[in-house]
Amino acid sequence: MKHTLLKLEPLIWLLFGQGIMIGTMLLTAWVLVVGLAVPLGIVPADALSFERAHMLGSNIIGRVVLLGLIVLPMWKGVHHMRHLFIDFGTGRDELIAPLLYLVALAGSLLGLIAVIRL
Amino acid sequence: MSPSTPGRTRTAPPRLPDKFPFEGRYRAYTLFDATGILYLMLGLLVLGSVWALGSGEAAWNHVQATYRSATYVIFHLIAIVAVVFVGVRFFSFFPKAQPPRIGPAKPPPEPVLLGMLYVAWIGVAGVLSIILAGGIF
Repeated sequence: MKHTLLKLEPLIWLLFGQGIMIGTMLLTAWVLVVGLAVPLGIVPADALSFERAHMLGSNIIGRVVLLGLIVLPMWKGVHHMRHLFIDFGTGRDELIAPLLYLVALAGSLLGLIAVIRL
Repeated sequence: MSPSTPGRTRTAPPRLPDKFPFEGRYRAYTLFDATGILYLMLGLLVLGSVWALGSGEAAWNHVQATYRSATYVIFHLIAIVAVVFVGVRFFSFFPKAQPPRIGPAKPPPEPVLLGMLYVAWIGVAGVLSIILAGGIF
């Protein structure tokens, strides 16, 4: 498993790095508007009515943005969590790392299905 | 005579630095890693939202109603602080991590690169926010 993870390291680092860079850029807007402004009534709820949200999310650009919002933060998240476990001396990296990456992989595949079925 | 196989190099056992995890410069380091938990949760929340959007109006409205609860609002307040922290910290050391050359090209000077990153961040987040809030389209 350690050998496999080392071979996959460039791909994991690519997703991790883009999770920080692009994930942060996209999440800033998502959290501000979807997580805060609409729930707090700063932005009218109509902005995210089902018809409008579906119109925005179901075109090709919308699907790519939504996929980025799902996949990239997950990979950033699990890679940093792996390092938290290493830094705090759990000593179980050979077990924790594959588990965390499997979570991100499963989430990414579900994300792909989610944007396809829009 | 030399031994047939080299002996194992003796090293001191690894030891955590005294100030780890929450003192001095280790505080920001540990918090930066800990934002991973929030990013994973945010990714899963977006996944749930998109899944609901694909499931129909009732599911989408349910998600919107859930987001109005105090728990989710507080979570998103913490999340926006974490996201801005990640952006500021990462963009501050991104220019320092560039190689001196990439093929024939040299990366721009650090202040220029940092400015470009902030322009991209504000631009992408700004345009997407305006679209989501109903300002465009």
